[in-house]
Order: sequence, then structure tokens, then C-alpha cells
Amino acid sequence: MKKTIFGTMLFSCLLFTSCDVFELDNYEEPKETIIGEVVDSKTGERILTDQGSEGIRVRMTELSWGDNVEHNPDFYCKSDGSFQNTKIFKGTYNIRIDGPFVPIVREDERGVPIANDTKTLDIEGTINVKFEVQPFLKVEFVDYPTVSNGQITARVKVTRGISNDEFREKIEPMGNYNSSFTNVTDIQLFVSYSSSVGYRARDERWSNKIEYVGSEFENLLGKEITIKSIKGQTIPSGKHVFVRAAARINYDTPAGSGTRRWNYSEPMEVIIP
Amino acid sequence: MKKILAYIALAFISVSCVDLSIPPKNIVTSEDLLSNESGIDIYMARMYSNMPFEDFKYLAQWGFNFNGWLNSFGIEGTGEALDRDGICTTFTNEDTPYWSMAFTLIRDANFLIENLPAYKGSYPEPMYNHYLGEAYYVRATVFYAMARRFGGVPLVTKVINYPANQDDLEIPRSSEKDTWDQVAADYDKAIELMLPSSPKSGYSNKYVALAFKSEAMLYAGSVAKYNETVTGRLTGTGQKTGVRVIGFAPNEWQEASKKYFTEAYKAAKEVINSNLYSLYKKKWKANDPEAQYQNMIDMFSDISSPENIYVKQYTYPTLTHGFDAYNSPFIFRSPLSSGMCPTLDFLEQFDGFNHYADGTLKVTTGATNTQGDYILYDSPMDLFKNAEPRLRAYVIFPGDQFKGKEIEIRAGVYTGSTPIKPFFNDYSYASADNTYQKLDSYTKKPKTLYLSPREGSSQERVEADGFSMNAAGENGPFYDNGESCLTGLYLRKWLNPDPAAEIGEGKSDQPFILMRYGEVLLNMAEAAVELSLAGETSIDGSNLLDEATEAVNEIRERAGAKLLTNTLSSTNVGRDVVRKERRKELAFEQKTKWDLRRWRVQHYEGRNGLWGEEKNKDMYSNNTRYRFRGLYPFFSTKANKYFFDAHYQWISLKTFEYTIVDYYFAIPGNEVSKSKVIDQQPNR
Repeated sequence: MKKTIFGTMLFSCLLFTSCDVFELDNYEEPKETIIGEVVDSKTGERILTDQGSEGIRVRMTELSWGDNVEHNPDFYCKSDGSFQNTKIFKGTYNIRIDGPFVPIVREDERGVPIANDTKTLDIEGTINVKFEVQPFLKVEFVDYPTVSNGQITARVKVTRGISNDEFREKIEPMGNYNSSFTNVTDIQLFVSYSSSVGYRARDERWSNKIEYVGSEFENLLGKEITIKSIKGQTIPSGKHVFVRAAARINYDTPAGSGTRRWNYSEPMEVIIP
Repeated sequence: MKKILAYIALAFISVSCVDLSIPPKNIVTSEDLLSNESGIDIYMARMYSNMPFEDFKYLAQWGFNFNGWLNSFGIEGTGEALDRDGICTTFTNEDTPYWSMAFTLIRDANFLIENLPAYKGSYPEPMYNHYLGEAYYVRATVFYAMARRFGGVPLVTKVINYPANQDDLEIPRSSEKDTWDQVAADYDKAIELMLPSSPKSGYSNKYVALAFKSEAMLYAGSVAKYNETVTGRLTGTGQKTGVRVIGFAPNEWQEASKKYFTEAYKAAKEVINSNLYSLYKKKWKANDPEAQYQNMIDMFSDISSPENIYVKQYTYPTLTHGFDAYNSPFIFRSPLSSGMCPTLDFLEQFDGFNHYADGTLKVTTGATNTQGDYILYDSPMDLFKNAEPRLRAYVIFPGDQFKGKEIEIRAGVYTGSTPIKPFFNDYSYASADNTYQKLDSYTKKPKTLYLSPREGSSQERVEADGFSMNAAGENGPFYDNGESCLTGLYLRKWLNPDPAAEIGEGKSDQPFILMRYGEVLLNMAEAAVELSLAGETSIDGSNLLDEATEAVNEIRERAGAKLLTNTLSSTNVGRDVVRKERRKELAFEQKTKWDLRRWRVQHYEGRNGLWGEEKNKDMYSNNTRYRFRGLYPFFSTKANKYFFDAHYQWISLKTFEYTIVDYYFAIPGNEVSKSKVIDQQPNR
């Protein structure tokens, strides 16, 4: 009897064993590197963004899997408009980016391609890649933000990175064009203890926004706009915080995602006296 | 040697040339199941146990696991209720996506549709038709459940045999429009075939199918219409097939939306005109709030209610759930409690309270909650004395009775002098983290505010002005215990009110009403107003707006709410009256999360409509995120009276997030990558 039980147990152990257990996973580790940046095609300046899913999305697709390939997990640019991934398997990739600029992949209503500025590269070793795009807006601080009673006051200037006519020329063929797309809808002042301040890393106690209806921002383009951190929410004295301004237009990228991405200013460090 | 030869010879003798064609006795065949009534019962039981019904065995965050663990609802960022845990999050996906199990059930339905005709002679014709109708009803239910999650889905309308060549096995997603048309067609087939009343308990019938059809078509019509209100129009074509898998084409949405609303209206009207159902009013009495309140409590457990159209029944001890075990007040904790705490924002929708100019509940004598002094009450229930009876039937107020006990809810005790000024000078979203335990009156000397971190021996004692009492109520709120009363309010709806009923996991057997006449009235009213907005005045001879008004008033009368005195207008304001009524009446019934989706009012740009009516979203939102508030009762020892503070969720503060892509769930990634034809959502 004992023998039978022992035998059965031994047998079932063997039954559940797979030979793969004993094999070494000798697949080559992902060690290729891609270093990229996204710049304004006119000025060559980096497109400043947020680090997170509201910033510039980098989507890589390894093509050797055939026509039914799924893209790799998305990752996002750093806030200075550059990106880097040092753990990539060797292979041929298509790289697409989406952010607060004219989409580099444009198709009409029926999916017929109009433009495709994605890059297809063999990645081996370290590869550098540069995307030249047309940002919607350019956002800058006019001068250094001021602080009084723990409230930050910043002066911001927003200009267009691409004229309305140029925008229309590029976007209209994609169908369902609406002249409201180019309206600036809001200006944000993000405040945070973190130097990677932006939408994701904002502190909700202090970050503030101004919203605009319809085309009412049109007259304010290029002008100085004053925006303050939330009234009544005092930032503790002696602390260092980082601020950034951002603005966006009424157009989502990629089309249909509903995500309207902001163009950002450089971050600034502010010391609360 | 001879022996061996003999054996071989013997072996040859036992070979027979007759094929072994007798079906094995140990396998259940189609014949066994489909040729007789009890076999069909088994077949149906299998299908029904896999139906995507959202009841006491469904948690939105987890999807269909068909178990009742931690079952709570209304906690999906709908504003109805809050919970301490991670399950209290917006409805942006389900951990177990409703995909592969859906196709298993569709296969069962398709198999019945294809194979039952062979046994037609075994049944009287009406029964045969009814069984066939059940199969279409099941398929409609599954396609509907999928369409409202994913948009266009693969329309598998026949049994696919395996093995077969690849092209026959793979079915791409259809367009969203074709999917909704299929839902309508399957419901229609079911309505045509099924009996007017269920042949057995648990079976469906014609009116069940009609009622659900009205709900489904309301969803379809809303999606077609309100996708247009979303930035950049919410639609797109699949990468692999070019099919419009989400949304509607610019030239077809208008017509489609009108068609679906018409279908919704007609289906609901047919249920209403049948006169088989009516609102539950067994104990209801005009002008008697107490009777109206009791009536609305009873209606959820009275299985003979004429309002019930479709009910999922439970029986102790074989088929049970644990709703009471997770959602009862803290004093009944067993093994958990406080899973659904209604919000102040929810309460503010109801009649019977005083408000500030911005519509929020008045708790001070001033013009806003930072001005004036707190209003004092002898007992906390005094604030609620004129509350709409329906609200009282849904929510337990501080000091209310439940299961024969007083439900003591007290945030703290204040020993400072009266009149009492508001605790904070800022109650905005940005300062939601500023909570009572950070107040100087609590942390510094002289201490005038007493709060309790936990229950039992962790309660702070207050000895002042002749009072010797615990700081917090028996049910909390306790600021370090997320299992106490999070918002100052508790849920009453669905909980077993019987003091003798034992609370525990697997001890509850209240039925869950999946479809009731009240919803059919509201479906009809909403479809009517939408049709009126689309330029119609009448579909079947009666005036759409008159009918909508009458339906809303029927609901309001039973609820003890104020009646509409004017006919609803053909405007968004008129539509919002119906929407708000729906949010109130169908709260905590697993329905609201779908209503918010189809109205497209959960993302920031559309969030003004979250409460069914226009309400400034900036009062509770910050871009993609939003939060809800509680109503916290305090006791003043100097005055020997109670006062209330309205504050963002004090304990386990939840911040919700919702973006436009969430209106369509992602197709499970493995399904997309293993198939040549299944498209991911184009906007992901």
C-alpha cells in the first residue's frame, strides 16, 4: 500500500514537471539604446512637455512580428522634450510620437495616409533620433515670478508655433475640420515641490488655471498674462518650489483620444520668502 | 505455441464489422438536453448562471467574477457613495474584461438557436417559441453588455465549429452601429417569440426583453448623440479592418440616434401599455411621509411587488450573497462594514433641505459655509426632518433608526463657546486635505475640539460642561479607521432591515431587482425628451413631452418629492429634469455608472452635467480629477446641541480621474495581438 502511494506521488511529481524548468533562459537581454529628441522644425528648440501620459508619447513597434504586430508598451518624453530607452531588444522598429504638435501621422476619414513622418530604424547599439515637428503653441515666462504672502504671481506670454492657416492646411484634410480647433482654451500654472513639475507632478493646493471660452484668447496672443497660484492657499515660507506655465489649444492628439496636450514653459525655481 | 495460435484465433473471432455507433451512455447529448423540458431547464440554468447581470455578485472594478466578495456599488466615481478601498475608483476598465466569457455564452445561445428546431415536435408551439426566444434574449443581453463596454464587437451569430480554416474562425469587430442594430434585432426576435409571462420563475418573458431593450436603445441613442459633444468627436476606424469600431460617421449619427431613441420609447411604451406592472405603493399614503418612506424600503425586498419586472433571487443557505456583511453600519460590523457611504453631493439632489445660493447644503447662518455661525439642532435628525421620503429610504442619517438601533454618527465634540464660527475659512477642492485633526482647536491648548482616531479604547473622552462622553459616535467617523462612517451618512437601500437577521458573508438572501417598472418609466421619459429635442412631437399619437412629464410625476409622487407643475420643455433643461430624476430614483442600483458614460459627462470638459443637471464642475473638480464631500455632525457641549460641517471626504479621501478614452474600454491586449482581425480602440 505504502509503495503504491509513494509510486503515485513520484509519478505525479514527474507529471507536473516540464523540461523547460531545467533550461537556461539564454535569450539575449535587451541592451540596445535609443536616444531621441523632439524639436521645433522652425527654431530647432526642444518641445517642452510633461512627463506622463499627458506629455509626448513615444510608441515603438518592432516590425519583425509580421503584419499583426502590437506596439511595445508606450513611454513618454522627459519634460525637456528628450527621451531615452536603454533596454531595447535588437530589431527593426517604427517610432511614432504624439504630443502638442501637428500629428506626424495624418490620415483622412477613410484611413488613407496623407502624411507619415514616423521613423523606421534598425536599432543596434546606440541610435540617435531627432523628430522635427510644428508645435501648436510656445509658452514662456516674461520674467521671474514674484511672491507675496505665500502666493506666486507669474507673467506668461503665449504665441503660436504654427499659424492658423498652416494648421488648417495640415489638419483639414483629416476630415471634420472645425475652426475652433485653434482656440487657446486655458493657461495653467503648475506649482510643485518637485523639479519635474508639470500636470502629473503638480500640487493641487497651489496650481491654478485660467480658462477661455471660444476665441476670446485671440487678442491675448503675444501679450503678457498674469496668473497667480490659488488664492488663500499659502505656500509655506522658506520652501523652494518649482513652477511651470502651460497652454493648449482645442485639438486632441492623437485625434480621437480626447487628450488635449499642453505646450510648456521652462520650469523655474521659486524661493518662498 | 499452440496456445498462442489459439489466442490469435480467438482475437480474430472477437473482431466485428459493425461500427460502434451507440452513443456513449456517460455523455450528455443534445438529444438529452433539448428534447424535453427538464433538459431545457438545465440548459437555461447554465446560460443564466453566466449572464452578465450586475447585482450582489458584481463589483465594477473587478468585472464579472460571479462572486460577491466586497460587493459595493455606486462607488465608481458616480458621486453616489464612497468606500475606503482601491475598489472605489472610476469605471475605466474591468480587471476581468467581459470578452472571452461573453463568447462562451453566445455560443450556448447560438447552439440552442441552431439545434432546437430538430426537436420542435417535442413541445407545444408557444413553448418551443419561448425557448428559442430565450436564446435570442441571452444573445441580446451579451451583445448589449459588450457594446456598452467596447463599442463595436465581433457579431458571432452562428456556432463556429472547430477545427475549421482560419478565415472561418476569425470574426472581426463590426462597426458600433451594426452592433447596436444587432442588439435591437435580437431583442426584437426575443420579444416576438417569448411568452407574455415567464413560464417558470427565473425564466424571462416578452416584457423583460422589452424593458431591457428600452434601456439598451437609450444607451445607443445617447452614444450616437453625445459622442458629438466630446472634443474631436468620439469615433474612429480600426487599424486592421478600417471598420468604424467606435462611434458613428458624421453623416449617420443624427439619424441613428433618433432611430434608437424611437426604439427605446416604443419598447418602454409597450411595457407601460400592457398594464401588467405598476409602481410599488402597497403602504404608500398621500401626504404621509412616514408611510411613503416605509413603502420605499419595503419595495426592494417584497418579491410580490408589481414593480418588479426582472429579479435575481437568492435563497439561504444554498444561493446567498454578503451585501449586509460589507455595507452595514460599523456597529453591525461582521466581518466588515461601511462599504457604501453616500456623499453630501448625492444628498443635495433631494428636496427638503435649505441651500446656499450656489445650491450646496446650508449649515451656517451666513451666505456661504465660511460665513455666519453654525446652525444648531437639538438632535442631528432635525436637519433631516423635511427630507424627501425617498432619500430617507435610501440613506441612514445620523441618529436615524436601523435594525432597531439608533445609528450614532458624530465626527467630534466641540467645547468652545457659542455661537460657533465655521472651522475653516476655505472649503475648496485645493484644501480638501485640511482636515479637522489639523485644526489648532484640536492640536493646541486650550483644546476645544475632540475627535477619535479609532473606536473602543481609542475613543477620546470629553469631560466638559457636565458631559462625559466619547468624542466620536459609535459608528465614527474615526479619522484613522477607513471602515467607519466616511461621510457622515450610511446606506439603507438593499440592507436587510430585520433586526433578527444575522449579518455575515454568505448569510444574506435579499433579491436584487435587475429591472423595475420605475426604470421603464424613466427610459420612456428620457427617450421622449430626446426625441422632442430631435424635432419630433409625437411617435404614437400621444404628446411626447406630456408623457415624459407624467412619468416623472408618477415617480415623484411615490417618492414623496415635489411634483412638476409645468410640462417639461423641449430643451436641455427639460432633459436634465428627467436625468436628475433618474440619478435620484435609480441610485445604488448599478445603473448610474452607465448613465454617466452614455451622457458623456464624466471627463473634465463635460463634467458640468455629472449630476444630471448643469452644475459648475469647478466646485468639485480640478482638470481630470474630482472629489466628493461628506456631512459631518458635531456636538457642542456649551449649547447642548448639534451642528454640521460640510467638508470634502474626511477619511480615506478619494480622488477620481476620468478621460475621454475611458468611454470605450480597451480591448484585451492578448485578443488584439493574437488575431489578425481584432482591432484595438483607435484612440488608444
